[in-house]
Amino acid sequence: MKIQKIILLVAPVLLGVCLMGLGLTPAQAEPEKKTDQKAAPKKLTGAELYAINCNRCHPERYATEFTTAQWQTIMLHMRVRANLPAAQAKEILKFLKEDAGN
Amino acid sequence: MTLAGGVLGVALTPRAAAMISDEDFNALKSAVTNQDSRIGQLEKLHEQDQQTHQQDQQTIQQLQQRLGETQTLATNAEQKAEETAAKIQPAGPLMNALHNFTMVGDAEVQFGQAKGQHGTFTLADFAPIFLFRANENILFEAGFDVVLQNNTDPTTGNPNGGSSTSVSMSFGQLDYFLNDYVTVVAGYMVLPLGTYSERAAGWLNKIPDDPLAVDFLPGAGAGAQLRGAVPVGISGQMLTYAVYGVNGPSSIDGTANATALDLGGNVGDSPNLNGNPSGGGRIGWFYPWKPHYDVELGVSGQTGTWSGNYLWSALVVDASVHISPYVEVKGEYINTWQQTANVGNIQPGGWWVQAGYKLAGLNLDAPIVNDVELVGRYDTANDAMGSTTERTTAGFVYYFTNTLLLEGDYEWLANRGLNANGLPSSQFVVQLSYGF
Repeated sequence: MKIQKIILLVAPVLLGVCLMGLGLTPAQAEPEKKTDQKAAPKKLTGAELYAINCNRCHPERYATEFTTAQWQTIMLHMRVRANLPAAQAKEILKFLKEDAGN
Repeated sequence: MTLAGGVLGVALTPRAAAMISDEDFNALKSAVTNQDSRIGQLEKLHEQDQQTHQQDQQTIQQLQQRLGETQTLATNAEQKAEETAAKIQPAGPLMNALHNFTMVGDAEVQFGQAKGQHGTFTLADFAPIFLFRANENILFEAGFDVVLQNNTDPTTGNPNGGSSTSVSMSFGQLDYFLNDYVTVVAGYMVLPLGTYSERAAGWLNKIPDDPLAVDFLPGAGAGAQLRGAVPVGISGQMLTYAVYGVNGPSSIDGTANATALDLGGNVGDSPNLNGNPSGGGRIGWFYPWKPHYDVELGVSGQTGTWSGNYLWSALVVDASVHISPYVEVKGEYINTWQQTANVGNIQPGGWWVQAGYKLAGLNLDAPIVNDVELVGRYDTANDAMGSTTERTTAGFVYYFTNTLLLEGDYEWLANRGLNANGLPSSQFVVQLSYGF
């Protein structure tokens, strides 16, 4: 009986210490309530697609380095060379054209 | 006064004059005199008004004259504009024929020193890529390589004296964007055997020289290709494909001896002697879980005959991983099969793995350190004709800007086998690379 009482007293304390160690409050440590509403997947922006794809093979080029017309040509070249999906290439182009050079 | 006298002469008879007192006469005279004075003033004012009126009339005439001149000028200008417009041909949608012309590419200068040799500038390379966008669906692109190189044997380091300049077309292809998922490519194409050949410009590769085993593959081929990508979801994940037919490798001397394989000679002076084109392709999967965190896997291959009915085939497995903006690991496994007339079936091949770490990831407040990337590579190649080479490379990349790089590497080489050549045991290579 003594052992059971000790366990009952010590166990919550140990659990609390563990949670504090993880930086969690008891409320946060509760399992997440299941909800029917899933977070809607967010479509990637041109800037995000630029960060994902361009830096894989070469240092990122600044939008101001080429004119709008040049970016249109270069993005066709990169669409072939890097095998980029058309929709992604178009979003990246839109992003680059926003700050394209003169 | 005359008027006043007239008035008095008419208005007053002698009898009436006798009846008017002097006082009245004087009063009347004074009144007449005042009226006379006022009439004089009115006459002066009238004269001034007339002068003003005349001046106004002159001013109006001048203004009317100017207005007429202005109207004449306007009419003439309008007529001239109409005449000029009639002479000008209607402008098309493209005002400048070179409007859609763009040049990109890279340039390198390399310095090297093999162990036991003097250091020397080994090459200068200018590699422009000309791009012409005919419209939104058609792109023509051609890449050239202009290299000035010492006539030093690259394998032995033995100088032969002098230098040579070579100009070659790396690729020249027409791209037709059929739809969002299919691009038709035709011409002399960079081949998608692995990813290295398509991403190997001097300022892209972080180590100045190519992996050894890449030499077992053709870099480009003459033919046609279908390629494209299919996005999977909206997270940036995609499946890529490329399928092509090319002339394929040939023989440099018409024989099927092992050393006669000509991977680059599938057009021009060294025609394909077998008449059967080669086919190949690549399937790739790219999965980014967030920007700068991704994995890419690919399998590619090519098969066909190279001399008569002798087969040549290749298989390449490529992989790359990015973990944060600072860590990159990539590599390729390459194996080829070659039927020969003199040594039977051989399998030249090899593999390479390369890693890089950008010191900016250490978050040190040190500008120069933050612009440094440490790189290392291990590569090996077995030519299946009695020579196996292993190479370990350690070096750095210093980024002056996003397009100007200084690459420095030290390489340890080991060449073994019955036909081992005299490669230096180690060498130091420095390269300045610029991408434009």
